[in-house]
Amino acid sequence: MSTLISSTIRIPSTTRVLANGLRVVAHEDPSAPIVTVHLMFRAGSRDERPGRTGLAHLLEHLMFEGSQHAPKGHFDDALERVGGSNNGSTWLDRTNYYETVPTHAVELPLWLERDRMAFFLPMLTGEVLELQRGVVMNERRQVIENRPYGMADEQLHELLFPADHPYSWPTIGYMRDLEQITLEDARAFYQTYYTPGNAVLVFAGDIEAGRAFELAERYFGDLPAGPALPPPPVPVMPPPPNGARRVMEDDVSFPRIMQAFAVPAYGTPDWIALDVLAYLLADGDSSRLQRALVRDGRLAQDVDSYLYPTALCGVFGFVSTARSEVEPEALEHAIRQVVDEVIANGVTDEELTGAVRRVRRDQVSELATVEERADALAYAATVLGDADAVHTVLDGYAEVTTDDLRRVAAEYLVPERGATLVVVPRPGQEDDEEDDDE
Amino acid sequence: MMSETRTIAVLPPPVPGAPPRTRAPRPERWTMDNGLQVIALPRSTVPQVVLRMAFAAGSAADPAEFPGTASLTGGLLTEGTETMTADELNARLDGLGASVHASVGHDFAEVEAVFLSETLAEGIALMAEVAIRPTFPEREVERIRAESLDAILSRLDEPANVAEDRSALEVFGPAHPYGHPPFGTAEGIRTVPRDALVAFHAAHYRPRGAFLVASGDFDTAELRALLDEAFAGWTGEPPSIGYGADADAAVAAGRLVVVPWEDAAQSEIRIAGLGLDRLSPDWFAGSVANYVLGGSTITGRLGSNLREDKGWTYGARSYFLPGLALGGWVAETAVDVEVTAAAVQEMLSEMRRLADERVPDDELRRAKDAMILSLPRYFETPSGVAGRFVTLEAYSLPHDYWDTYADRVEAVTAEDVQRVARQVFHPDRVVRVVVGAMPEAGA
Repeated sequence: MSTLISSTIRIPSTTRVLANGLRVVAHEDPSAPIVTVHLMFRAGSRDERPGRTGLAHLLEHLMFEGSQHAPKGHFDDALERVGGSNNGSTWLDRTNYYETVPTHAVELPLWLERDRMAFFLPMLTGEVLELQRGVVMNERRQVIENRPYGMADEQLHELLFPADHPYSWPTIGYMRDLEQITLEDARAFYQTYYTPGNAVLVFAGDIEAGRAFELAERYFGDLPAGPALPPPPVPVMPPPPNGARRVMEDDVSFPRIMQAFAVPAYGTPDWIALDVLAYLLADGDSSRLQRALVRDGRLAQDVDSYLYPTALCGVFGFVSTARSEVEPEALEHAIRQVVDEVIANGVTDEELTGAVRRVRRDQVSELATVEERADALAYAATVLGDADAVHTVLDGYAEVTTDDLRRVAAEYLVPERGATLVVVPRPGQEDDEEDDDE
Repeated sequence: MMSETRTIAVLPPPVPGAPPRTRAPRPERWTMDNGLQVIALPRSTVPQVVLRMAFAAGSAADPAEFPGTASLTGGLLTEGTETMTADELNARLDGLGASVHASVGHDFAEVEAVFLSETLAEGIALMAEVAIRPTFPEREVERIRAESLDAILSRLDEPANVAEDRSALEVFGPAHPYGHPPFGTAEGIRTVPRDALVAFHAAHYRPRGAFLVASGDFDTAELRALLDEAFAGWTGEPPSIGYGADADAAVAAGRLVVVPWEDAAQSEIRIAGLGLDRLSPDWFAGSVANYVLGGSTITGRLGSNLREDKGWTYGARSYFLPGLALGGWVAETAVDVEVTAAAVQEMLSEMRRLADERVPDDELRRAKDAMILSLPRYFETPSGVAGRFVTLEAYSLPHDYWDTYADRVEAVTAEDVQRVARQVFHPDRVVRVVVGAMPEAGA
C-alpha cells in the first residue's frame, strides 16, 4: 500500500484593497471557460440581537428582490439568460452572494452586485418585506419544522451556548422573531454591514488577475466606504455547559443521540487536529465509531461526527440514530467509550494517515469547482483575515500528530464541556389515509 | 450613522460579448474482451479519479417474491470479498482515502469509486473486487437486512418522502417497477434468503451490457492495462429484464389523493404524470417546456407564481424522471397548510396556460439560453463529466449527444413546446398528491 499523502492542494490568489476598503481577491484557473464572482460580507446571525433573530438571513432574501436599476425578477432572469447561476447563503459569521457565469459575461454579476450595494434601499418596501417574510417562514417550515429531527440542532445549540451567546440561536431565526422584524431593522442591518469596508470580492476561474482588479475598480471603486465597523470580536470560548441535557420528543420512528462541544475557532492548530479526529472517529467503515456503534456493536443505524469552521469558536459534534429496540443511552455510552479510549491510549499512525487522506479526498472533491474555491478564499479572508490563510489550514493537516489527536480529545471532548440532546419518538397514533376522487 | 451626500454614478448595464461555443470532452471508448464497455475521459485538473460502473441490476430485476433483492445485493458488495473480509476491505479503502459505494435505482445498480490519483492502481483493484467477487457473509447480510428495514421505517417519518412514493405509485401503478421505491418492501427484505442475493449477483453483475466511465487525472494506457488486469477472467451476460405492465395512466389521471398528516407545518404537493421516453424526438422540446414551467425554482412559472408573487412556499419546481422503460414527470412544492388547495389550483393553471397559450418568444429565448450557455459548468469536475457520460451510456444516447445538444435545444419552436405541454402537463393527464391537509378545499 502506498504511504504517500497527496501533495497539498493550492489555491493561489492575489489580493488588492480598493480605496474604500473593499478587499478584492483573484484566483486564476482557465481550465473551464467560467468565472465565479463571490461577494462575502462579515455579517451573519451572530450580528443579530435576541428578539430579532433571522434578520441577517431575511435580508439575504430581500437582496434578491430588486434594486433600483435591476427591479424585481431581473437578477435571476439576467443571469439565466447568459447561462449563469447564482445564490446566496447566511451562516453564523457571514453572508455571501455568488454568481457563476461563462467567461464572456463576467461583467454582468458585477453590475448586478454593484446595483444592490449602491441602490438597494429605495426598493426595500413593506410589501417586499412581507412577501419574503412569508417565504422565509415557509423555508423554516419546510427545512426545519416539517422534517424529522429538524428541530434538534436548534435545541442542541440552546443547550451548548448561554442565551446571550450569538451562536445560541438558529441562523434562520425563531418564528416569533421573524414576525417582529421591521423595515427599519432590515435597513439598519444593511447600512451597517453591507459596505465595501466589510466585504470581500473574490474572482475565481477563467480571468486574469489584472482584469479582475480593473473590473473591481470600475464597478465598486466609487462606492462610499460607509461607516467603519468595530473590529471583529476576539474568539472567546463559551463557559462549559457542564453536561447539560435535554430530551426532545419528535415525530420519528427511532431515537437519536446528539452531542456537541465548543472547541477552538476555525483555522487554529487545534481546530485542524479536531477535524482530523472527526474523520478518524467516524468517516469510513473502518473508523472507530462506525465499528463500535454500527458494524460490530450493532446499536446504531448511523453515526457521524462533524466540526463547524466557525469564527468565535468551533463546534464539534456527534450524531447517531438507534436501531430498533436499542435505547439511546446505549449509543451515548458507546460514543463515550470510544472517546475515552482515544484519551487514554491515543491513536495509531495508520489511523492518522488514513484520516488525513480522507480529509484530502474530500478537499479535492470540494475544491474541484471554482465556485467552492471562491468560497474558501472569501471565508479565509473574512474569518482569518487573509485569503491566502486558506493555505495555513490546508497545509496544517500534514503537521498533525497522533499526540495532537490524543491531546485535543482530552482537552475538549470531555463530558463537562459537552451538551447532549436525546430525541425520542413521540407516543402517537398511526396516520390514516383518505382518497378523494372529487 | 454617517450620511452620504455624494451621488453614485449609474453605470450602463454591460453587454456580454459572444458566448464561447462549449466543447464537450471527447472520450476514448473501447470494449474489453469480455464485453465491458469503457468510456475514458482523462483530464488532470484535480488529482482525483472518479469511476462509475453500471449494471442492469436495478430493482426492475427484483424477483417477484422478494422486492428489495437488488437493493440488498448492492448494499452487500462492500461487505466482504473472496480475498478480503469486510473489515480488511474497509481498512484498505479508508487507509487510501478512497470511497467505493454501490447505489441501486430502478434500472441500474452502480458502483462508484472516488480516489486520489496516486492510488489509481489500488483503487481499480478494490473496485473490481467489490463489483465481481463479493461473498455476502451471513453476519453482514443480517446487519444490512436489519438496517434496511429500519431505513424503510425512517423514510416514512418525512412527509416529502411519503409524497414522492405515493405519487410514483399513482402514476406507474402497483404492477410496474417504477411504482415502487427501488429499495423494495419490508416484507421482501425481511424474507429474502442469502442464497437469492448470491444468485442475483451471479446472474446480473456481468460484463456484457455493463459499462464503466472513468473521469479525472489518469493516463488512458495505464487505465486500460489496470482494467485488463483487474477484470481478467470475468465473463458473461445478464438475463434481460422484463418490466411488467405498462403504467395505466387512464386510471390514474385526474385523481386527487390526500394523505392526512397530523400537525403538519406544511402540505407537500406533487402533481405527477407520465413523461417522455429518454430517446423520444420530443425530449428537447420537453426539456425546454419544463424549463419554462418549473426548471428553475425561482424564475420558472411555478416558482414565480407561488414564491415570488404569493410568498406561499420556499420553492416550486418540476422535472422529468428518465427511465429505461417509461418516463415520468413531477411538479413539486410545499406550502402553508391554509393555502394548499389554492396552490394546487395555481399549479394546474400554470400547466394549462403552457398547454393553451403559445410561449412568448422572449421566454422561449431565455429558457434556451439558460440551457445552452450553462453547458460549460456540466464539464467542470471529474464527477460532473462522469455523470454526463453515464447518462449517455445508460440510455444509449448517440455518442455526439453533447456536441449536438446546443443545436437541438436551439431547434425547439414555440409550437413544439405547446405540443409537449399538451401531452405532459395537461391537468387531465396528471394525479395530484397532497401529504398534509387541504382545509379550504371543500372537495
